[in-house]
Amino acid sequence: MTGKVLKFFAAAFLLMFFSGSSFAANERILTIAMGSDVLTFDAQNHLNTSTDCVLNNMTNMLYRKDANAEMVPELALGHEQINEKVWRFKIREGVTFHNGDPLTAEDVKFSFLRAATDTTLKEYPYFKVIKDVRVVDDYTVDIETFEPLPTLLRLVSKAGADILPKKYIETNGWDHFLKNPVYSGQFEFVSWVRDDRVVIKPYEGYWGGMNTEWDEVHFRVIPEVSTRVGELLTGGVDIIYNVSPNEWTRIGNNKGTSLVNGETTRIMLLVMRCTEGTPTADKRVREAIDFAIENKVLADVLLSGSGTPTRTRVSRGVTGFDPSLYNTYCYDPERSKKLLAEAGYKDGKTLEITFTAPRGRYLMDSEVAQMIAGMLEEVGIKVRLELLEWTSFNSLYVAKKNREMLMIGLADNYFDANYPLIHYTKDRAKGETDFSNDEADSLYKIAAKNMNHEERVAQYQRIQQIAAEERPHIALYQLKANYGVNDRILFVPRIDELSRIEEIHRK
Amino acid sequence: MKEYLCRRILQIIPVLFIISFAVFVLIYVAGDPVAMMLPSDATDADRAVLRTALGLDRPFLEQYGIFLSNMMKGNLGRSFRYREDALGIVFERLPATLELASFSMLLAVVIGIPFGIWSAKARNSFMDIFITGVSVLGRAMPSFWLGIMLILFLAVKNPLFPVSGRGGLEHLILPGFTLAFGIAAQITPLVRSSMLEILQQDYIRTARSKGLAERVVIYKHAFRNALVPVVAIMAVQIPGLIGGALITETVFSWPGLGQLVIQAIYGLDMAIVQAAVLVIALVTIFFSLLADVLYCLIDPRIQQR
Repeated sequence: MTGKVLKFFAAAFLLMFFSGSSFAANERILTIAMGSDVLTFDAQNHLNTSTDCVLNNMTNMLYRKDANAEMVPELALGHEQINEKVWRFKIREGVTFHNGDPLTAEDVKFSFLRAATDTTLKEYPYFKVIKDVRVVDDYTVDIETFEPLPTLLRLVSKAGADILPKKYIETNGWDHFLKNPVYSGQFEFVSWVRDDRVVIKPYEGYWGGMNTEWDEVHFRVIPEVSTRVGELLTGGVDIIYNVSPNEWTRIGNNKGTSLVNGETTRIMLLVMRCTEGTPTADKRVREAIDFAIENKVLADVLLSGSGTPTRTRVSRGVTGFDPSLYNTYCYDPERSKKLLAEAGYKDGKTLEITFTAPRGRYLMDSEVAQMIAGMLEEVGIKVRLELLEWTSFNSLYVAKKNREMLMIGLADNYFDANYPLIHYTKDRAKGETDFSNDEADSLYKIAAKNMNHEERVAQYQRIQQIAAEERPHIALYQLKANYGVNDRILFVPRIDELSRIEEIHRK
Repeated sequence: MKEYLCRRILQIIPVLFIISFAVFVLIYVAGDPVAMMLPSDATDADRAVLRTALGLDRPFLEQYGIFLSNMMKGNLGRSFRYREDALGIVFERLPATLELASFSMLLAVVIGIPFGIWSAKARNSFMDIFITGVSVLGRAMPSFWLGIMLILFLAVKNPLFPVSGRGGLEHLILPGFTLAFGIAAQITPLVRSSMLEILQQDYIRTARSKGLAERVVIYKHAFRNALVPVVAIMAVQIPGLIGGALITETVFSWPGLGQLVIQAIYGLDMAIVQAAVLVIALVTIFFSLLADVLYCLIDPRIQQR
């Protein structure tokens, strides 16, 4: 009997061996491997990069961010400002959804009003600033906001501003739409097997001309990084996302694959509690902590160059960013010790802080936290390091139970300093950092409604200077994203971390 | 037997209630689902709006009451993450999980039983020691490590099998073997020890003294009796394969229940966790019932007891 079993396995093994060549990929199929699956095909309800990676190829917006995060018209032919709260958009004619229905101003109104009024949607917090959307004619819409909104073009070009097919959804219902999504973008839906793959193909009737480079695009879900790398090395996939440093050599040394990296908007930072009664309420203590941390060592040694030191929460590439605070850091352990002594931590009195950080959420997060704790110990600060799994960490952060210091990575998919800088206003900071600065507060309120671009940028840069001086956040570095790419593909990463198929080419 | 089965089936109802309550409490105390849905730096006001819209601001008992009344109607709720019917999503995953589980179990039995018998037959020989050693290794080896090694050697360095994903038989081999190896490593020593025990019994000696061929003695007289513990271990392993093959599913990107459940737990997606746990519980109960029936078929004395 055992002999038969062995023969069976030998036969199966040989069968697999000779059928091995069937795993080779079709060259007109582009396969991209991501770490997590699409959550939904409802473009207004995900807040998820993997989902957006797929959806941004299927949808159209009035404006869209190009590879450099600049806004370029897509469905809109242009816009004019009727008054400080009303913007008029002319829409391109001849655009059809993937089911053949024409896209008109009614669809634009339907989409924006849904995002602005349905409180169950994850995009609602961003779009609630819209008061009304009025159809002027079939190809003209007016968007009215509650307050003057200088960032409206950013809003209509962010995820969630995708135009939905009103007639199709009203006729067939949401459940049908979610299983058979129809948009007006360059690629149309073919199939979705959850946690396995999404398949899309070029839409023949696309107004900008059908994509002829690819027959199909497969987005595969491969959660384990070593498996993603394995698929890349064997030619099973063309592009892989989120490659950790320990896999870089394997990709770089392999013939036919390369490692590519690009900036993201994610800033790793320390959230400092300034609440009266806590040791970190003393500005000198926060300063001492900043001077004890060598950001460049974290970015260059631990992350192998996958980060750039920074002193601001606003990322490079975002409107309002202050370049003087980028690619720089404060490190002076002697000054740090002096500041601690000035704050009263001398003659045997030691500063003790609790430092909370996530484990497994961001690139090398727990290693970075341990190294920071070590750097702080070197200047005489006693650190109680609390490393938490993401769900517990996030619940603690959201409940504002952060102690003296907490490490988090915050991104900005709005691409305007208005979004990240809200942290330095009194209302937003309440309970979290309890930071309060009258100048920052008033500048933020003025800038939020300031329709003069240059003035607004200057106001945001001033807030960043205040934050860098006062340190309610101590920014560490701006993270880069790492991709493994098959050499047959020309792929340039985008700062929004999306895969835009029209920008991916065969060599 | 019929009365016994009816009693066992009726026992399922309170078990399901207890499980659903326990899961509800655990997810409820684990944290705020809205915290996982909106960005970390969303405002409190935005979170409060979403919490109200989803009914998550209601008292615990009210939320559980709504869940129970919907459950009675066969509605386990909608997933927060996917905004779709939770049970539908779970059922969508079940075929992939059952495919991998049944293939692994079959492979484990095909590997485990013959090697167990061989080991018993050749007691204290080199082969016996070797098989026992491999069994110990199989139980000690973490499945993620075995999975990654199999990918490395049989898919990347020697591209004999696909690295990951679900497809034809070729996609099943590596994840199936990863799961089967650990189970076979439990079956083999069990078969070996129960065979050794049975081979000492009087009726085996009688069979041998009657002049029956060793093959007949082993497979007809001894093996059937040695099967009882094997069925027991299989019944114990099946729930693990249905709900707990998470690591293997993740390593091989197998779109099964394990991956779904872990994502739902991280996202505090109550409806999916509830639906998945109830389905896994039902499958577990079904297989433990099946195991009971199999005991009776293998050894009619159990039924008489």
